[in-house]
Amino acid sequence: MSLPASVPVIETEDLILRGYREQDFEAFARFAASDRARFVGGPRARYDSWRSFMAGIGHWSLRGYGMWMLEHRETSEAAGRVGVIYNDGWHEPELGWHIYDGFEGRGYAYQACRAARRHAAEHLGMNSIMSYIAPANTRSVRLAERLGCWHERDVELLGTPCQIWRHPSEQVSA
Amino acid sequence: MTLSLHIPRLETPRLILRAPDPADFEPLCAFLTDPTRAWGFGVEKDRPTAWRWFAANIGHWALRGYGYFTIEMKETGAPCGISGIWEPEGWPEPEVGWVVFDGYEGKGIAYEAATRARDWAYTDLGLTTLTSNIVPGNLRSVALAERMGATYERTYHNPNMGEDMLYRHPGPSALGLDTDNDGSPEAYA
Repeated sequence: MSLPASVPVIETEDLILRGYREQDFEAFARFAASDRARFVGGPRARYDSWRSFMAGIGHWSLRGYGMWMLEHRETSEAAGRVGVIYNDGWHEPELGWHIYDGFEGRGYAYQACRAARRHAAEHLGMNSIMSYIAPANTRSVRLAERLGCWHERDVELLGTPCQIWRHPSEQVSA
Repeated sequence: MTLSLHIPRLETPRLILRAPDPADFEPLCAFLTDPTRAWGFGVEKDRPTAWRWFAANIGHWALRGYGYFTIEMKETGAPCGISGIWEPEGWPEPEVGWVVFDGYEGKGIAYEAATRARDWAYTDLGLTTLTSNIVPGNLRSVALAERMGATYERTYHNPNMGEDMLYRHPGPSALGLDTDNDGSPEAYA
């Protein structure tokens, strides 16, 4: 089984999308423990966060893709995670985004999602990917709209009502 | 630091300890989601959470350089349990753990696998002491820990299991796994 050495690095204007490092865990756990994580399975206790952090790494190994850690170029801090999630129980692979406290409102999620969506279309054969959004998560709905997505249907994800938003296709060079 | 995944392949007379393979998930899931079997290890409520555990174990290997091996029967190639070294966030120390799947109990498989994993941790990882965390009432695991020479040390609160007993294994010298004067590990059978 091969893994995280092979997580591709993608650079955008303000961010580096890269694999996980152990020192990212504190920022990961702070987000997961906060009320901001309420739409993505949180808030989580520290042990559960560590388990989730490990599972994020193992996801790359099991699926060949996963969520990138977003490194803020200017400060080198972990600014969030964006990438393709396909945990057991998912309807299909999902483009997901989590932006950590202090990095909101600067367009970073948009920037990283565009890069990840293009990568998924070009390298993973996933064009017109979807994103799950909790109906009350109005910020994520706004970002999805800005990304050109449309509300496709309502589903249950692990027993919780959820919306599937469909992304537009990326133009992939042959 | 870049994370990487190096999972060795170890052998015993009857078993192979190797990297988890996606095909191992089904028997592991059956174990983890069965409260009558997994109560001493940590029960997962359903298949999706069991899959997260499976993925987390691989992440544990990447972060720590050790984790749970899949135990495979040499004779049939079938996965029959997991054993390895485990130390997630909040654990008191690295521990030797073992699980045997349904139908493989009572054959000494856990003893054979856990002893091999412990030797590997001392000889190859260079660990100098090891523990096993056992939930009170898990008499089968206590018996196995004692058969491996481990002794009860204290009771503490584990972040995943609650009240937990810590058993201490014999160290590398007591097991004859000392390094030579030249610093290289002794060969062992």
